[in-house]
This record gives sequence, structure tokens and C-alpha cells, in this order.
Amino acid sequence: MSGFLGSSSGVPPKGTHHRDPGLWAWIFLSPLILWLLLFVIAPTAMLTLVSFAERDSLGRILWNFSLQNYARAFDWVWLKILLDSLFYAFLTTVICLALGYPAAYFIGRAPERWRGFLLMLVMVPFWTSFLIRTYAWISILSKEGLLNSLLISAGIFSEPVSLLYSPFAIVLGLVYNFLPFMILPIYTSVEKLDNAMVEAAYDLGAGPLRAFSQVIIPLTRPGIAAGAMLVFVPSIAMFAITTLMGGGTNPTIGEVIFKQFTAGRNQPFGAALGTILLFVFILALWLARSQRERED
Amino acid sequence: MALGVWTAGVFVFLYLPIALLVVFSFNSSRLNIQWEGFSLQWYAALFSNKVLLAAFQNSLIVASTTTVLSTVLGTLGAWMLYRYRFPFQRALGLLIFVPMVMPEVLMGVSLLVLFVQVLNIPLGFTTLIIAHTTFCFPFVLVGVQARLQGLDPSLEEAAMDLGATPFQAFWKVILPFLMPAIVAGALMSFTLSLDEYIVSVFTSGSQSQTLPLKVYGMAKVGLNPQLNALSAIFIAATFAFALCGHFLGRKKNL
Amino acid sequence: MKKTMRLLFTLTALALGSSASAAATKNLNIYCWSEYIPQPIIDQFAKETGVKVTVENYASNEEMLSKLAAGGGEYDIIQPSEYVVEALVKEKVLHPINHSKIPNLKNIEPQFLNMAFDPGNKFSVPFMAGTVGIIVNTDLVKDEIKGFSDVFKPANKGKIVVLDDAREIVSWALLSNGLNVNQVTEKNLNKIKPVLEQWLPLVKVYDSDSPKTALLNGDVSLGVVWGGEGAILLNKNKKFRWVIPSEGTHLFIDSLAIPKTAKNVDNAEAFMNFILRPEISKQISEEFPYLNPNLAARELMTKKQLENPASFPSDEEMKKMQIFKDIGTRGSDVEELITTLKAQ
Repeated sequence: MSGFLGSSSGVPPKGTHHRDPGLWAWIFLSPLILWLLLFVIAPTAMLTLVSFAERDSLGRILWNFSLQNYARAFDWVWLKILLDSLFYAFLTTVICLALGYPAAYFIGRAPERWRGFLLMLVMVPFWTSFLIRTYAWISILSKEGLLNSLLISAGIFSEPVSLLYSPFAIVLGLVYNFLPFMILPIYTSVEKLDNAMVEAAYDLGAGPLRAFSQVIIPLTRPGIAAGAMLVFVPSIAMFAITTLMGGGTNPTIGEVIFKQFTAGRNQPFGAALGTILLFVFILALWLARSQRERED
Repeated sequence: MALGVWTAGVFVFLYLPIALLVVFSFNSSRLNIQWEGFSLQWYAALFSNKVLLAAFQNSLIVASTTTVLSTVLGTLGAWMLYRYRFPFQRALGLLIFVPMVMPEVLMGVSLLVLFVQVLNIPLGFTTLIIAHTTFCFPFVLVGVQARLQGLDPSLEEAAMDLGATPFQAFWKVILPFLMPAIVAGALMSFTLSLDEYIVSVFTSGSQSQTLPLKVYGMAKVGLNPQLNALSAIFIAATFAFALCGHFLGRKKNL
Repeated sequence: MKKTMRLLFTLTALALGSSASAAATKNLNIYCWSEYIPQPIIDQFAKETGVKVTVENYASNEEMLSKLAAGGGEYDIIQPSEYVVEALVKEKVLHPINHSKIPNLKNIEPQFLNMAFDPGNKFSVPFMAGTVGIIVNTDLVKDEIKGFSDVFKPANKGKIVVLDDAREIVSWALLSNGLNVNQVTEKNLNKIKPVLEQWLPLVKVYDSDSPKTALLNGDVSLGVVWGGEGAILLNKNKKFRWVIPSEGTHLFIDSLAIPKTAKNVDNAEAFMNFILRPEISKQISEEFPYLNPNLAARELMTKKQLENPASFPSDEEMKKMQIFKDIGTRGSDVEELITTLKAQ
């Protein structure tokens, strides 16, 4: 895992030149810095503060310093839920990559005038309401649904099987909803491949499979890394799919935090769980990147 | 060839539920579950449902503004982080991922508190767009960063040797090179914003109710098939638009 | 792409313009469950009174509470359930209502007035009530189901849908142990833990929003669901049967209330009175087959509606019902208990 965590780094690889920033560079960077300060760092800091507080019966924050939220958070059950969530996110990433890479490659190598259209074709299904889309999947996978009647009339099953409300349905739902976020970044890497280089790879007589694995895949690695991040990271805390298609029997970290925040009226505890999640994640990313820089 | 078949398969996977959703928009049953007969009633009802249409309009406003902001913020950020060596470079690179990994409820509530109690911005389009941009721009930034890796440094140098300022070199040379990643990032931002529920719950005001906010409680009575009709129309319109653009663009090229 | 952007910008400009000019002198800002107050009713109120109504939606009591607690939004009407009314009254964040402005309160059946969560209805009026019960697909389940103990049996493993609501699930276990739904103490939670440990692995689906989906699709055969969901299923197909659990169950009352920060109290009271009109209340019942507490509205309803056992429990069943009290900070423990058991 450290492979793909590490390679989508903000630090340019060696060999490219980078300068010390002048005034203009700072000015152009300032929107990003300001945005991060105001809307990322400030809320995160607030959240961390809240995680050390208490709350009243209506869920309002009481500013008494307390470590009880962390004491409560260090329990195997939350760890197990976090690991479950990471596992589903990882599985989703791997399947999205396997499904999405060939499609992204095809789109990226398609005639130039078709590329934009095909790219849009990947995204448009998601311009519908999430719930409507998910309920469509539910009616496909349900016991009296489309897939079961197809499988039965084809003679593959003799009676309807339960496809919905299972780990299979969760992974299917996650893969479906995150697939475009894998295809698009890979496409941008494939799109810039030099035709001559691709042809040369094939001409080396290495056979298409070796050309692919030894030349094309390494060249598109930044796209793979970016796609993997864009699928893996947001799917950790995603829980609408696990509850709707999985039946809600496997709690995920996002769901636990949501429920503590809302129904549990315990924002400090939810914030503590969230802070731990962020901390673990940032630490893993930082370690992976240091590791990669050392390798380089 | 095999790639083409695979890609076609992926498209079938992506459009399978969409096809069903369109079929159900012509279903006479109110419950989005079983087919009961053909009807156009949901299309008729949709056109007189000003609340749903207004919510959809709000969604488009928020999503398109968010897209523009995230694209600018993400592209500029990625380029500056690539081109120059700033202090805290690595910290900045890591911070980008915070909005992506942060559970939506934490982001929604903490931004709500920030807007209302610290910055004193009334809830509405502004707060909603800021919140959406916050979780969308990292997607653009990461995508553009990937495209930048392996960029031939001589590209910019050549432009500068020809007398271009760094700004001109960026505008004329780098930006066109980044365009596929920018378009991809814009598409992702638009999609993420259009569908966001939890962050929107906490950061929207009564004048800026987006479609997901109207939809999420609907499952209780059964999802209104007017939503299927709306989705079907929007998809059809997008296709018509894209195809028009595609063929018009082709004529120009000839 | 460029053209799309231009179009979207035009749209943006249009919409920003229209919302800026929308500030009328007479306003009402409603914060309610999405769809719970049907749009035609809101339109009719706006037309009759000339008040400009804006509606903001939420999908759970707690979403509303979080936003209210953070000071977001200025609402004139909110729609809390009974235990939330109780908490809001206790915290003194509601505006007292003027009964002389709401004469239609007389339409409400007395048993839904003057309840413990808001004595004398000083702060709230009932909107819609309902209960939780057992729905059985008799094609798939042949055993007789009388209560929770018949539902949560090993024979029904993988066939059950329940509400995805920790407080609800805990209350069923409390009832099964002969306890009151409000005796949510640490000791009692420990006491019911073994019961829940046996129950939860049997559950196939947790769904609070639309448990009817899994039942209609045949993915599960029985469930513990809201009365309104049950009523819809009973209307859909005769194979479904509704059972009020022999152990007892609880009654919920979704209400209307005015937050203290409201700016248009008069309009809010006028809206409450409007909602309590028999013909308006009847329209809501048509969309939501819950227990309508409005006696005058019930007189306008059809026999079929009134005889739906999931909407209207018998008098005898009503006697077995308990009402949720606010459990305040204990809610977090209840969530933790259910999450822990689900994760095992």
C-alpha cells in the first residue's frame, strides 16, 4: 500500500528543476494557503479542541478539559470498525483499478475528438441522485429483481439467491460509485503518452503484454497513484452505500462518527474518533512519502 | 479490440442502473420498486413541481460555481507546488488530503460552527459553495499533480527562451498541457458537489436548498418518481448537448 | 465545455438575482422533515395568507438539533418528535405558543394533548402520531408472530428487517425484559445486552427510511417497522400482516414548535392553526398513513384508511403504548452498545 500512497506526492521527482519562490509565486500560492488555513486547518483545529471537551444533554459543547473521549476511543471495537472500513476501501480501490485501467487506456488512446465525449460518458451516470441510483441497484440485486430473474431463466440458479445486503453488494456499490474517480486520473496520464514511445515498446518485439507491463504501466504510474488516492481515501468514511446496499450490518467508521454526532448527541466523542482517524491517516501518508523519498 | 470490448463492458456496468432508472420514470407505481404500467404522469408532475425544480436549479448553481472555484484553486495550487519549493511544502501536500479523508459530518458541523460563530457569514449560497469547494478542490489538485509528474521541463524553458514571461509560459504552454487533467478535475468536482448531502445539511440556508436535501427524506414516503423523470431529462439533455458540441466541433476542425 | 460554463453562469446570475429580490415583508421559515408537510399544503397556506414561505429540510431529529444548537439558520417552525420537544422545553429554547391564535387545537383527540413532554401544550402542537410494530409476510412466515420474542428467533435468521435506530432497538429489548422503554440506565443496558447479543446477528437489514423496500422485494420476510411503513405495505398486498407486539411498544408524536429565535411568531402560529384544520390534516394522512391525532380530520377519512391497523391501533393496543422520554447524554451509550454488537 505504501507504494501508491507514496508516489502521488506533492514533491516533484528529482531531475525537474524547482526554484525558490519569489513574491509572485507567493501571491499565486496564497489562495491555496488561505483556503487551507481558513477552511481546512481552522475547522480541524476546532474539531481537535472539541474532542477534549464535554457536552450537555442537548449535545451542546461544554468547554471542560477532559480526556474521557480518548479513553473511550481506545477500544478494540473502534479499531475493528476502522480496519473493516480500510479493508472495504482497499478492495474497492483494487477492483476499480482492475476495471478502470483498461477503460481509461482505451479512452486515452481513442481518436482525439472522441476523448472528451467518452470521458463525459463516464461521469454522466453520476449526475443523477445518489438515492435514485442506489435504489435502481437495489431493484437489480433484490431477490425478486432483474439479476435473479435473468440468472434463473438462464438456468444458472434454480431459485433466487440473496445478492443484496451482503459484502458483495457493498463492494459493488462502492466500486460503482468510485469507478470514475479511478478512470479520470488514469486517463490524463494515458492521454499524454507519446505515440512513438508506445509504438517503440510494441516494436521491441516484447509482445503487447510485456510492453504494457514494462513500459506503459510505469509511464502512467502517476495517474494510477492519483486514481488510487481519489478512490481509497474518500471511500474510507463513506457509509451511505454500506447501509443502503449492505443492510447496515457492518458499521463503518464514517457511520459510527455520524451516529455519535447526531443520534448520540456526542460531538466530543465523535470528534475524538475523527481526530484519531485523521492523525492515523496523515501519519501513514507522511511515513509512506518519507519512505519513497529515501528510495528515490 | 479486447480493450474496446472491456470498455464497452464498463459502460454497460455504469449505465445499467441508469437504464432502469429511466424505465422507472415511466412507471405508473409510486414506489420505485416494481413495474406496474406505463405512464407519463411523473413528467407532467415534475414540470409543475416548482420546489423540486428550484432545488435542482440551486444544485446546478452550487455545483457549477464550486467547479470553477475548485478548478482554479486546484490547478493553481498544483502548479505552484510543483514549480517552486516553498517552506512547509510537504505539510501543504499532506493537508490537501484532510478534506478528503474527513468524515462529512465532521466537516459539515465544524464548518457550520466556523461560519456562524466565528466568521459571521449567514448560511446560504456562499457558505454552501465554500464548503463544497473545500472538499472538491483536492480532487482537482491531485489529478493535476499526476499530470505534472514527468512534465518535460524544457517545455517551459523553451517558451521562456522565446521571450515569454513565466505567466505567459504558464498560460500558453503549461495550461494547454494540463487541460485534460483540468477537465477531468472539473468533471469530478461538479459530480461531487451535485450529489453532496451531509455537508450540505449543515452549511445550507433556507434559500439554498439543493436537490439532495429535498431527496434524502423522501425514501420514507417512497422516492418520488419525479426524480427519475428529472434525472432522465438531465441525462438526455447532457447527451444532446455533448453530441451537438461534438459534431459542431468536428465541423470546425474540417 | 466553454458553452456549458457560459450557460451555467447565466443560470447562476438568474438565480442569485431572484433570491436577492425575494425578501418580502411577511415571511415564514419552516424547518421540517423533507416531504412530511406536502407541498400543496404549503402552497395553499401561502396563497391564503400572502405569507412567503421558505422550507428547509432535514432527515432526522438530530440533524435538526445539531444545526439548531450551533445557531445555524433562523427558523419560525420546527418539527421535533416528542422526546426532542421535551429536551427543547427543558433547555428553554422554545417560544410559548398563544392558544387563542390556535383555536383548531380543539380538533385534537384529548389523549394526544397535555402529555408529559409538554404539559398544557405550552410549546408544541401535535402534527402526526404513530407507533412501531411487527410486519409479517405471511407467504414466507407460517409461524404465528405475537411479539418481539417470536420475531427474534434463530429460525428467522437472515429474514428480518429492523429500524436502523439504536434507541428503538434498545427499547424493544427493554420491553422484552419487562422494563419501561425509558429505563435506559447503565445497569439495564448491561441487563439487556445478552438479549441483544442474540437478536442482532439474526437481522439482515437495518433501515429506518424505507424498511418496506426489503419487505416488498422479498429479501426479508418480517420486520419491526414504523406504523406508516406497515400501513403502506398492508395497502399494497394482502400477504402482509400487522402485529402490535405483545410486550408493548411505543407511541411517537411528531409535533410543531416555534424556536425562541423565531422572527415571525404570528405567522408560525397561523401555520399551526392551518395545519390543524380537518381538511388539511386529512391531506397529510393521505400522504402519510400514520396515526392522525386530529379527530375532526378522521371524520373526513375513508373507512379503509381508518381500519388500517398499522395506522390506527385499537384502544386496547393504545393502552400498551409508552412514550419516549429524552435520555440526554445516555444516547451516546445506546449508540455505542448497538454499534459494538453489530461489529461483532
